[in-house]
Amino acid sequence: MRSTRLAACAAFAAAAVAAAGCGKAAPSSSTSAARTTASAAESVALSPDTPAPAGRAGTVTWAVYREVQTIDPIQAFDYPDNTAVSALCDALLRQLPDGGIEPGLATASSPDPRTLVLRLDPAARFWDGTAVTPDDVVFSLERNRDPRLGGFYGLVFARVASIRATGDDEVTLKLRAPDMWLRGELSQMPGVVVKKAYAEARGPRFGSPSGGTMCSGAFRLGSWKPGAQLSAVANADYWNPDLAPHAEQIDFKGVPDDASLTSGLVTGAIGGTYMPPLSALDQLRSNDAVTVTRGPSFTTDALVVSNLRGALGDVKVRQALSLALDRRAFIDTLYKGMATLPRTLANPGTWGYGRAVFEADWNAQPEPAVDLARARALVEQAGAVGRTITLGMTSEVNNIATMATAVRSAGESIGLRVVFKAVPAASFINFFIDPKAREGVDAFPTTNYPDYADPAAFYTTFTAPGGSQNYSGWEDREVTALMERARQTEDDDARARLVARAGDILNEQLPWIPLANGNTILVTDRRYTGAPASFVYMGGPWAYALGTK
Amino acid sequence: MVGFALKRAALLIATLLVSSFVVFSALFIAPGNPLAQLSGGRTLPPEAVAALEQRYHLDDPFLVRYWHWLTSALHGDFGDSIAARESVSAVIGQRIGTTAALVALAALIIVVAGIGLGLLAGLRPGLADGGVLVLTSVLAAVPSFLAAIVLISLFSVNLGWLPALGNGSGFADGVKHLVLPAFALALASLAIVARVTRVAVREELGREHVQTATSRGIPRAQVIRRHVLRNAAIPITTITGITIASLIATSAVVETAFSLNGLGSALVQAAATKDFAVVQGIALVLVVAFVLVNVLVDLLYALLDPRIALGSRAT
Repeated sequence: MRSTRLAACAAFAAAAVAAAGCGKAAPSSSTSAARTTASAAESVALSPDTPAPAGRAGTVTWAVYREVQTIDPIQAFDYPDNTAVSALCDALLRQLPDGGIEPGLATASSPDPRTLVLRLDPAARFWDGTAVTPDDVVFSLERNRDPRLGGFYGLVFARVASIRATGDDEVTLKLRAPDMWLRGELSQMPGVVVKKAYAEARGPRFGSPSGGTMCSGAFRLGSWKPGAQLSAVANADYWNPDLAPHAEQIDFKGVPDDASLTSGLVTGAIGGTYMPPLSALDQLRSNDAVTVTRGPSFTTDALVVSNLRGALGDVKVRQALSLALDRRAFIDTLYKGMATLPRTLANPGTWGYGRAVFEADWNAQPEPAVDLARARALVEQAGAVGRTITLGMTSEVNNIATMATAVRSAGESIGLRVVFKAVPAASFINFFIDPKAREGVDAFPTTNYPDYADPAAFYTTFTAPGGSQNYSGWEDREVTALMERARQTEDDDARARLVARAGDILNEQLPWIPLANGNTILVTDRRYTGAPASFVYMGGPWAYALGTK
Repeated sequence: MVGFALKRAALLIATLLVSSFVVFSALFIAPGNPLAQLSGGRTLPPEAVAALEQRYHLDDPFLVRYWHWLTSALHGDFGDSIAARESVSAVIGQRIGTTAALVALAALIIVVAGIGLGLLAGLRPGLADGGVLVLTSVLAAVPSFLAAIVLISLFSVNLGWLPALGNGSGFADGVKHLVLPAFALALASLAIVARVTRVAVREELGREHVQTATSRGIPRAQVIRRHVLRNAAIPITTITGITIASLIATSAVVETAFSLNGLGSALVQAAATKDFAVVQGIALVLVVAFVLVNVLVDLLYALLDPRIALGSRAT
């Protein structure tokens, strides 16, 4: 049931959150009882690189878990659509395979904290050869903010007061308050620029199979046969020679069935995918016909604590549950070892800036290890022995079911009762969006990720008052203040220190309990190489790098 | 003949009306919200929700929505797919060829191999009969998704004879891509048709008039053709017709396993995302196909056995 992956990955608009305004205070002392010396057993810094291609590939079939449904960037948020849009289109800023951000269609600068100036690259051209103009940029950004278009990223621009063309090659965003997070969003779907005249002519059909799109990327839209495939054809006149494509054509094909995907990869019918079937990972790794590469990712598998009035309302019970979780076994079972033991809720793959700061913080955190004696003691201290925790879950989605089972055995090993509230896969999403579905549920598992490489973009969704994923109403005055300061701090290392500090508090308070930091698992036919093994396929250029050995 | 056609047409329309209402109600009651599926739980501003609800008529009450769908459908407008952002006619048009070809090929396999094996087993007791019995027992027990996995691993992965997935391009390549899916779809039904054929032939062979014909010295080939097969044809046609009609619905499993862009896989996806218009459209196509196959079977009865009046059921 991979087609229900979207249910498991509630995406989010990071900037949806209003400033400060704290209600209840929560304890947040900085001393950690559990701090032990870091073990350097596992290298946390995975490389996104694969060997550079030596030759040009012909037509490559690229598998996504369902067919591409839209290539309108304001409505793209799920893996298949993002993978296709990021192959076809350029964003204003460019997301790199390691999570860093550099100039893309434009260079960003801030003459003052409430102004963001975007200066367009004069070479930038759409597929039809016309220049990318400030009008196109304003139009593309404003599409996000137009509620009638039903885009998913409107809240990203919450702090933006105005977007205006202020010169022949310049667009200026005026902000109500400083917002360092806007740049990350502009390197992602909300920052993708489409041609105004084209989009206006297509009207509501824009981005659909009959309407298509007009972007400026390394591949242009070829044929799009719904149900069959979307073809991206190399753009011979691509404006940026550094990112010129190494493949003639990439066909994006929806392959929902695991067995079918595996046999397609093994027989060469499929050239590659970023979402291999987890159940067949061992089989693929031992097969000479394909190359399996493990790289950094943005995803975190976690237990969302959605109710603080039940047993999990006591931080001691949350800590006990965390101490009882056998994460190594979970990672070995579900990911065949291809995931990282989470020392922080945020995945190391999200360190898009201030890397040294985040890494030092990570190394200072203990590697999670099972400690049942301490966990039982905590449950007893909390007076929670025999109390019941109700988990929302679906047994039809493999990773959700595996997480729920891991949490249940952890809970039962420390004297808690854990019961499942199981729903069909299609209804699992209701835990994220419908307060009625969360009634009587204490927690539910999720695979979650931020839009761009910043732990803050992830943390804010479930820690900020009114955050898009703050279902329990959890709040910590210090975390909220740290996040707000980070949002306004321009210096990368200083910002990273604030965010890392917030992460340390979350490690103790556990508003969500991490199970694993995911890895990007890239599988390609052995003929091909070059595609970055990283989460960049969700928003930055990646397809251009795919070629032959 | 005209009476038969009119009666069948009326029956078809009634079936369509009832099934469209049932499907619509079932989707309406089922949990989930198409907008939630579309936005993946992302927080949408109320204006955006209102705009999307209005575009897809999601805020109207149940009966109003059904009436709106029905009147539009009568004008040939089957609405728009929420997920694919295309008209339902386009969604169906792009996929109907695949399903039709898949079912036709599977039907061919069932008729040739199923009836062939059944005749072999019925007419040649002993080793051939035993072999067919074992083979059909195994095949009947294998569900199509398992057959798909076995066929793919054998003929695509290990032997490399046939492609594992996709539709291919052009006629020859397209047929090549459909061979494995058609077999996966046909195998279980083939076994049932073979079994029924075997029993029907055996029964006719034991009839008095057949034994009389044989004892009068009429050549065996002629006895089998004129007396056995002619009479066995009625039950064989019945079971073949029913099996083929049911293939249309079960093709979804095989289409998903082989990543074919057919109606079945589209129906499964649309139902999961509560894409009302697509589910309705495809369900109607399936109902029409089912009814048409049954009409065809009725016509065949009349052709095979003049004693059966058109429109009455053979026993």
